[in-house]
Amino acid sequence: MLAVEDKPAGLSSLGPLEIAVMELLWKHGESNVHQVAQRLERPLAYTTVMTTLDRLYKKGWLERRKWERAYHYSTRQSREAWEHQAAEDFVTGYLVRPHPAGELLISCLVDAVGQNEKLLDELEKKIRLKRKELDRRGKS
Amino acid sequence: MILSYLVRLAVLSLASFFLVHAVLTVALNRLAPWLLRLAERRRPSSAARLLLAARLFPSIASILVVAGVCIPSYLWLEPEAAVEHVGVACLAAALLSAAIWAVSTGRGLRAIILSARYMRHCRKLGRETRLAGEKTRVIEGAGGLFALAGIFRPQLLISREVLRGLSCEELEAALRHERAHCTSRDNLKRLLLLLAPDVLPGDGLQSLERGWAKYTEWAADDRAVGGDPGRSVSLAAALVQVARLGVNTEASPLMTSLVADGRDLEARVDRLLGAAPGCESDRQGLPAFIPVSLFLAGTLAAASMAPATLQAAHRLLEHLIR
Repeated sequence: MLAVEDKPAGLSSLGPLEIAVMELLWKHGESNVHQVAQRLERPLAYTTVMTTLDRLYKKGWLERRKWERAYHYSTRQSREAWEHQAAEDFVTGYLVRPHPAGELLISCLVDAVGQNEKLLDELEKKIRLKRKELDRRGKS
Repeated sequence: MILSYLVRLAVLSLASFFLVHAVLTVALNRLAPWLLRLAERRRPSSAARLLLAARLFPSIASILVVAGVCIPSYLWLEPEAAVEHVGVACLAAALLSAAIWAVSTGRGLRAIILSARYMRHCRKLGRETRLAGEKTRVIEGAGGLFALAGIFRPQLLISREVLRGLSCEELEAALRHERAHCTSRDNLKRLLLLLAPDVLPGDGLQSLERGWAKYTEWAADDRAVGGDPGRSVSLAAALVQVARLGVNTEASPLMTSLVADGRDLEARVDRLLGAAPGCESDRQGLPAFIPVSLFLAGTLAAASMAPATLQAAHRLLEHLIR
């Protein structure tokens, strides 16, 4: 984990594109702007990716070094440390309120588990469809 | 500090191990993203072997360098009667080396003890039966337990709930998946990974381990379905059923669960339902690190027989000890 004074800005400050970029850097390791732009699922302008990486660097989530006239970015924290901090930020942020209600926190956790159930439901649906497809193919 | 001949040998061996291991680990940390990209382009079993070999390489190569070059050069060229002062840097490197070995050995021993304790607990709670010819322990109230536990004689552990929830086809596919883990001795590899030192900063080695764990599961999926689309769907259904019952992967560090990582579940199911995974042979090739280590050992043996190599190594050891 990072020292408290080195702690990057809050996780809630990250947007969807920033999270997607973080995911890519965890998966592929150190990359330059061009490599990140190529790996993103949706095509984005080079300058957009460059600005996003620069913003993440300024927020303290990334490190960078200059090599062959281009910046190469890498994450400052492992994914596990990031997830740990996300959970910590969430719980701490909630409990420092004047009247923290445990019930609300539990209800949020139940909702999160519900999302997992939703994923399992979707996967089951895909399996049913595939079974039907195989049955059709078997009959024809 | 003045040390006797044999203690000096031990200190030098440990210090050399630390230095060689540190250099190789730093290099591997830099190479890890490239290795992961290389693994993506290979078949899962081959990708898993590549990542395992890469992860174990610094430890195996360091041991070979120390045993094949440093120790013979010291024994051959260091006069036994000579009294020599050992420098602080050398002592510090030796102490760090002893510490990293203590940490990784402790980690391995802890895993063995926890695993043995968990197996004892399962033996007490579970009832032994045979499923498709496999010795299996069925445990009541264990949620989504479907795992292979143990190192040398791994045993299947299945919860009663899973057994009730899966159809015959799903159960057969899941059993084939665990059999594939058993054939490729994945729990033993897990222990080797725990025993391999990893203390330098950097996420490279952990990313190789995570990659290995993912491709090990994919390879077992591929061997379980053997290119049969029907079996692919059954295995996918079994994965979802087991995930629904809740998976506890923390029970034992030397255990391969059917659903090891919830985050990878969607990718595994999509793979199984998409283009039918390739048929992977049940026969296991030699793990990649065995031929690599044999090659390194042969090269080192040849090098250590050359007096010039030993003299050069001895000169380096003389620098190190000061």
